[in-house]
Amino acid sequence: MSTIAPEKYKENASKNIADPVLQKALSGLQERLGPATENLYNSLPEGHKMRTEAHQFRRKAIDNLDVLLSTLVDKVRGHGGIVHFAKTAEEAVEICKKIALDNDVKTVVKGKSMVTEEVGLNLALEKEGIEVYETDLGEYILQLSGEAPTHIVAPAIHKTRREVAELFTEKLGTPYTEDPPILTRYARKALREKFLKADMGISGCNLACAETGHIVTVSNEGNIRMSTTLPKIHVAFMGMERIVANLEEQQSILRLMSMGAAAQEIGGYVSYVGGPAEVDHGDGPQEFHLIIIDNGRSKILADPEFREMLCCIRCGACLNVCPVYGKIGGQAYGSPYCGPVGAVVTPLLFGINNSADLCAGETLCGACKQACPLEINLPRMLLALRSKLSEGDPDWDVQPKSKGENLIFASWQRFNSNRKVYDLLLGLMRVLQHLLPAKQGMISRLPWPLSGWTANRNMKKLAPKTFMQQWREKKEKKGS
Amino acid sequence: MEREKGEKRLMTTQKEFIQDISTALGRPTPVSVDVFTVAPTTAEQDILKAVRQRSSGERQPFIKTLQEVSVPLHLDFHPERSLEDIRQAIITLILEKDPEWGTKKSVVRWDHPLLNSLNLEAAAELKDIPLYITNHVAATSSADDLQAQRQQTRKEVEASFIGITSADYCIAATATLAMKTRPGQARSVSLVPSIHVAVVEESRLLATLKELYTLLKWDEAEQAEGLTNNLSLISGPSKTGDIELVMVHGAHGPRELHLFVVSDHR
Repeated sequence: MSTIAPEKYKENASKNIADPVLQKALSGLQERLGPATENLYNSLPEGHKMRTEAHQFRRKAIDNLDVLLSTLVDKVRGHGGIVHFAKTAEEAVEICKKIALDNDVKTVVKGKSMVTEEVGLNLALEKEGIEVYETDLGEYILQLSGEAPTHIVAPAIHKTRREVAELFTEKLGTPYTEDPPILTRYARKALREKFLKADMGISGCNLACAETGHIVTVSNEGNIRMSTTLPKIHVAFMGMERIVANLEEQQSILRLMSMGAAAQEIGGYVSYVGGPAEVDHGDGPQEFHLIIIDNGRSKILADPEFREMLCCIRCGACLNVCPVYGKIGGQAYGSPYCGPVGAVVTPLLFGINNSADLCAGETLCGACKQACPLEINLPRMLLALRSKLSEGDPDWDVQPKSKGENLIFASWQRFNSNRKVYDLLLGLMRVLQHLLPAKQGMISRLPWPLSGWTANRNMKKLAPKTFMQQWREKKEKKGS
Repeated sequence: MEREKGEKRLMTTQKEFIQDISTALGRPTPVSVDVFTVAPTTAEQDILKAVRQRSSGERQPFIKTLQEVSVPLHLDFHPERSLEDIRQAIITLILEKDPEWGTKKSVVRWDHPLLNSLNLEAAAELKDIPLYITNHVAATSSADDLQAQRQQTRKEVEASFIGITSADYCIAATATLAMKTRPGQARSVSLVPSIHVAVVEESRLLATLKELYTLLKWDEAEQAEGLTNNLSLISGPSKTGDIELVMVHGAHGPRELHLFVVSDHR
């Protein structure tokens, strides 16, 4: 379960960096998935242009979201499905709660869905006395341990097999073993009972197809198929941007998404759900509800600087290459959306001010953009967010940064653009720097207001001569 | 009380919801835009033509591809090609494999012409093992009848340790089975039993996912039927890497997936 607390970023990041188990898990994950995804991109039969094209397909869908959603809704209704619209998280939860209560639902099985985490669905249903089971193995482990996810696709990657063994013995009463296949079988058995007795299945939606009127879910475990086939009611939660116009466009995006998410050509189970089971079909849910959720997305849509972010399909590829995520882990971001994608989406959905550290924490190295199957320009949007934090923006309710900081940067700019003043300051600093505390030839602590810079790192001392001086001297030597 | 009622939030309507999106897009109402494709591109026409004109000989390389991609997917691809050999191989599977839940064996299968022609019901070796068929549910039945038949199917599927299906298509490059939902072809047969056995005609083999999507989109018969309310693409048995990234097969779906391709020359 994730709570939304991005303001604890620094505190959690420091804790995670000091956790050797997590560090090992994160580096193992990045070493395996990052290069594997890149290899798949490099061997695309359609070549590199496939990713650029897929970006355009998504962009076209976002730019025509009103038309596409209307088409999807009409088609789903035509298939016998019921469509609901939720402007806010509370509304989405209310709708689902009402369906559950109207149908006397006792047990819910859930496929992994980021958006249900975003709206805080589980807690609301549990308050009504409804049992809710996460069925993705990683999510199930976290539900049992009461922890937040570390990764979008591999949420429990920080748990060692030993921890899982202890957890299962405690919560499921199974014999102790550290063997992942046996542990998986324990969870399989425990959850099979839930699948068979559940009266409501909840899924997300990876990417809907407007022209055919289907939502699409992808999983490798088969838990989403179980959740959407066996219970009598299927409720699908869909962030309003998760849609594409045509089947052929969806084909390329789904394949790219599978590469980004798990370095696969295609996810193990891809299901197109258009509506409930027809009367003469032997199984499948009797009711299909689709809840389409805004919850701050139309605000992102309206801002040309951030509209591109709605192209994101939450595959998690950017996590597998990000040097910052690779050290601090997903829990540090304090949001269901972590890593580079989280550093942009979390501020936009839950407030820029209290997520300030998230966008400042990323390095702007550009690895995320290279790894993104859709080549979404995350670094550009990180910079745009930082600029809003610095200058302020009433539209996004961002207060400008402290006047002091702005003043320092303004003076810095003035000194820097005057050669004489710059040289003078440089000379002064060369002398003064010897008064600062140093370790192994590096400055270990700067005085306030620069002390933040050396809080977590040492700073190199200024060289005795600038490059320009050295250059001039070399030239003079040659000349003589 | 009256005030409380008045304050109760009304649910967002479709009109309001879409209107907000149009506004965010900077247009007052949804404009008619050309976002949906109405005719296949030349490249797609070529794919359609290639698939339709493909001979049995041209499909033979797909068998080799399937063999190769099956290995990393942990899928059991069987070499038997004739109906009689496949029948025998499936009988052996039923006899040799152990049920995962409980000790009693039963098998469930689709009501499908290809599977009917295997005639497993006549096998003397299987006389002690119940072999269920997910029969048609007549749309004209009463609501109670429908409910009863569904419950029966559910019970049989839950009890079975092997589920036998066919598929609309099988994609060689990724070993993907594509299945639409139809009467008599319960979707839980490929999902709930521990072992999924799929038998497909060689003529249903395609080279790539792109070919599949081109057919689903532009082939007249496919267009007429639509994707149906449930189309599943299945590539290999169920799997997870959620504990320390160790790959384990059989997370929630079938632990094993056995694939047979029936030769055109039978």
